[in-house]
Amino acid sequence: MATLQAGCPACGAQVTFRSGSSVVVVCEYCNSVVARTDRALEDLGKVSDVVDSGSPLDIGMRGVYEGMAFELTGRAQLGHAAGGVWDEWYAAFADGRWGWLAEAQGRFYLTFRTEMPGQSLVPPYESLEVGTSVPSIPAPMPFVVTEKGEALMVAAEGEIPYRLIPNEIYRYADLAGLNRAFATIDYGEQMPLVFTGREVGLTELGIVDMAHRRERAPRVVSAAQLSCPNCGGPLELRAPDHTERVTCPNCGSLLDVNRGQLRFLKALEPVGYPQDIKLGAEGEFDGQRYTVIGFMTRSVEFEGVKYFWQEYLLYQPAVGFRWLVQSDGHWSFVEPVSPGDVQASEKTVSYKGKTFRIFQDAAARVEYVAGEFYWKVEVGETVRAVDYVSPPQMLSMEVSGVVGRGKRQGAGQESQEVNWSLGTYLPVKEVERTFQVKNLPRPTNVAPNQPFPHRGVYKYWALFMLAAVVIGGLLSIQRPTKVFEQTFTVQTAPAASATPNVITLPGGRTVTLPVPAATPAAAAGEGSQVIFTEPFEIKGNRNLRVTARANVDNNWIFVEGDLINEATGLVQAFDLPVEYYHGTDGGESWSEGGGEEDVYISALPGGTYTMRLEVQWEKWNQAAPPMVIVRVEQNVARGVNFLLLLCALSLVPLYVLIKKISFESRRWADSEFNAAGTKS
Amino acid sequence: MLSKLYKVIGGGLLLVYVAAAWQGWEVGSPRRQFLPPDVRNSPGGYRSFHFWHSGYRGGK
Repeated sequence: MATLQAGCPACGAQVTFRSGSSVVVVCEYCNSVVARTDRALEDLGKVSDVVDSGSPLDIGMRGVYEGMAFELTGRAQLGHAAGGVWDEWYAAFADGRWGWLAEAQGRFYLTFRTEMPGQSLVPPYESLEVGTSVPSIPAPMPFVVTEKGEALMVAAEGEIPYRLIPNEIYRYADLAGLNRAFATIDYGEQMPLVFTGREVGLTELGIVDMAHRRERAPRVVSAAQLSCPNCGGPLELRAPDHTERVTCPNCGSLLDVNRGQLRFLKALEPVGYPQDIKLGAEGEFDGQRYTVIGFMTRSVEFEGVKYFWQEYLLYQPAVGFRWLVQSDGHWSFVEPVSPGDVQASEKTVSYKGKTFRIFQDAAARVEYVAGEFYWKVEVGETVRAVDYVSPPQMLSMEVSGVVGRGKRQGAGQESQEVNWSLGTYLPVKEVERTFQVKNLPRPTNVAPNQPFPHRGVYKYWALFMLAAVVIGGLLSIQRPTKVFEQTFTVQTAPAASATPNVITLPGGRTVTLPVPAATPAAAAGEGSQVIFTEPFEIKGNRNLRVTARANVDNNWIFVEGDLINEATGLVQAFDLPVEYYHGTDGGESWSEGGGEEDVYISALPGGTYTMRLEVQWEKWNQAAPPMVIVRVEQNVARGVNFLLLLCALSLVPLYVLIKKISFESRRWADSEFNAAGTKS
Repeated sequence: MLSKLYKVIGGGLLLVYVAAAWQGWEVGSPRRQFLPPDVRNSPGGYRSFHFWHSGYRGGK
């Protein structure tokens, strides 16, 4: 690099341009911004001292990004309209490029200057609306405007690659894209400049080790250093590098924090539900230990009724800020998500492949605050809050607009911002366990993102059904074993004869016998016959199927059977009614029954058995006598057992389904939208 | 809670089904009793054993 050393035009101290392409350097002695021009050095004015923002970065740190080495040469601190500052670091890359490394609330965004194909493609600042996409900036998915506002150039140090004007206010727009893509449009120049890049982690920048060294010596502002300007009581800042507002724990006053100086703003009265978790309490989420540093009660109003909920601000220096939200006894852990990763449509949004349905769209108002906050929170502050649910998660969009509340109040500094956050439902017991508290209020209704508690039943149901099908399939493979089969033809009673019987006696004498009268039963075609079978073997622990097939045709045969164990006298009775009827009625043929009937019998003790079969018939109207084939089989797979199993396995899931319908009905009863996403 | 209960119930039902298949149990199996030896050994004894039966009343 070409090093240029010269005297500061303001104080005469030596200033050094180490990078050949840097434009300004801040004098270490007098904080003057010194610009180099073609002719000489130019004093652009003085900037304030940079405040310690707790950043793990420092000037002189080196790293490698995507294989290219870089060094941090300078930093600017810019004031936000909502209060507070953010850091912008400048990285000189070995290939001559400059990278802009913005740092806000523990997140880093590395961008590079992007030449647009045509200047007309850069949308005018006035035409931008937060939440809308800007397709003209090249990206796989269009960037979405997440914030537009005005930044105040507050402080700077080191070498900077552009002409930095102290105390200048300039307009900017931040945009987010898919997969942590990020872009900024700088409207500070006559021709707006576009920077594109993405959110990065310190490990990706290869400077994590040095960052850790800085973290080992954190700056601590002790309680002894601060006292309430209203009551004089001591107070402690747990996130001194970020805190913009704090409430006094002694008198409840809301205080403004400005570089360690406290200013009384107003006294606050608690509104809504009491605070269940104390400030300073610590709890672990996702392996990170957070401290509760702030508490806030917010409300929405529907039809003149205010509904309150509580939010706890959690802080972890290495991670940043998170929220713990409690509403009607339901808790959620909330973390920020990149707006570019959220694809919004009219009634739904999708995030990481998951679809969320709109649940609420209302103005959320701050009612009470306690503790520390990283922005200049005020009671009465209102944002548009839109909630989308996909239990156990809830995506929330908050759109805020701020005018003239920055470090230069009244200077017209403004900003509009859209923030997305992802809340994950937490059971009350988990919150109690995490923060070592007891007796938190229990929920009485269904929360928007509360998961249905019995959904695990369906997983087991699917597993059980699969297991049942596999087992049933294996059992159906087995072949039945035939242990007995025999055909029986029974004798019907003789019908009445019209011809008298003539018997010839010895000696040639004949006797004429009277004609026997037919019995009434025989006349009616009725009869029964008892048959005993030969013994046969039956094996134990195997079911039996007894089948009777008969030559019925518009009549019936009834087989009443007994399986008799020859050794023990055990009798297993069974009935087999075989009937078959058919005909035509009104020109349509019909039939009922069939020529075969069977009965299933539980396994009998193994042994030798005989069968007693009593065959009955009625209205026998056929020329052939009644004929019955009786068959006994063992080891027969039975479908009804399988069907009964499926029904029994489905009873609890059916009950759970009814409960789920009721559960969802209660969930959406608290929404201004129905499940289809239309206002109800 | 219900999931755990269902896990037990469902597992139990599957076990009962497998046990039923293994042991040859059938649902709705007809009556079963022991025939006294004196009935078995006496002529026409089976008829008196079935004396209660009133016969089939099916058909059209």
